[in-house]
Amino acid sequence: MSKKNRAEDRASRAAEARAAQQRAERRRTIRMATIVAVGMALVILAGFLLTRALDTSKDVSATPAGTSEHGVTVGDPDAPHSVIVYEDFLCPFCGELEGATRDAFERLAEEGDLLVEYRPFNLLERISDYSPRAVNAFAVVLEESGPEVAKRYHDLLFDNQPSESGPFPDNQDLLDLAVEAGADEADVSEGILEVTMRDWVDAATAAAVEAGVQGTPTVILDGKVVQGGPQDILDAVLEATA
Amino acid sequence: MGGLVVGWLGLLARLATGGVWIVAGALKIPDPAASVQAVRAYRLLPEAVVPTVGQLLPVVEVVVGLALVVGLLTRTMAVVSAVLFVAFIIAIASAWARGLTIDCGCFGGGGYDPDAAEKYPWEIARDVALLAGSVFVAAFGHRSRWALDHVLFRRTPLES
Repeated sequence: MSKKNRAEDRASRAAEARAAQQRAERRRTIRMATIVAVGMALVILAGFLLTRALDTSKDVSATPAGTSEHGVTVGDPDAPHSVIVYEDFLCPFCGELEGATRDAFERLAEEGDLLVEYRPFNLLERISDYSPRAVNAFAVVLEESGPEVAKRYHDLLFDNQPSESGPFPDNQDLLDLAVEAGADEADVSEGILEVTMRDWVDAATAAAVEAGVQGTPTVILDGKVVQGGPQDILDAVLEATA
Repeated sequence: MGGLVVGWLGLLARLATGGVWIVAGALKIPDPAASVQAVRAYRLLPEAVVPTVGQLLPVVEVVVGLALVVGLLTRTMAVVSAVLFVAFIIAIASAWARGLTIDCGCFGGGGYDPDAAEKYPWEIARDVALLAGSVFVAAFGHRSRWALDHVLFRRTPLES
């Protein structure tokens, strides 16, 4: 073997050793990265199970439809299905829900398939005192003029819902709307103008909070919370009653 | 850029973005119901995935933040961080464009906020800055100082 060949041989052996070492290093890197990535995934999974367990948005234990003192019902009390809607007269999503579901709910109630109970309460007083004033007016109408007028009033309040940034209807506007719904002005004017049923409003709100309601609208179909947008909720009710 | 500058800037970017993720996620973990509500308020995702996203996001945020701060799988985590910031920027911009007035829910909270419209530009600016930090780490993170990666993935000097 010539001198030159020996040198080449040495060089190629060294290159081979280097390549082998690089391969080993790459393997080690990949193994280590995999271990770390799997560890992270496990931590994320554990955390996810924790937050899922901590998620209270479905833990609402509302008194059954038709048994609350703070709502108005539509439909047969013995209907096979029930929907409870916790809502605030100022909440825009509640207004959207009303728009999407009212006709269907009324039809289902008429056909005897569904008992609907609307439970307005005061969630948004931090935005405007319109919220408690509207619930107060609703309570006055419910007490003085009965559930049928109160349901119509409830519908009218949502049909004339103010924006959350105002301007907000005053008590006279609320009274005018109650008269439009069919209430006798003499029966309801003092209660609405003087906000005489604030205790009722606070009791309704306390009952909703007690039940675990965290936001509006909260919809309970056959005892279980239904989440999602108006269409999701309508679909769930239509499916249940189909 | 000199290696030294890149090294320290990389560390700074890791601490800034990672720190924000940790705080943002940790504030949300105790109240997943609010987090789910915040996700829902954007009205971008179908309801079928809203609860899962709302529950998962805070956890992912904390893990990505911790990984960035200690420098674990630095560049991969920076890519994840950048992708999340892009998603948040799109979400906030879209809420703004659709006229929704919602709290971004970035650090807990969420839902209706009467002052939302004037906050959107700041929120987007903040996320763009953090996105830039994430992209920097994704590009140069392997050269940043004090990263756990340097210990775990130590290169053995080649024998010559």
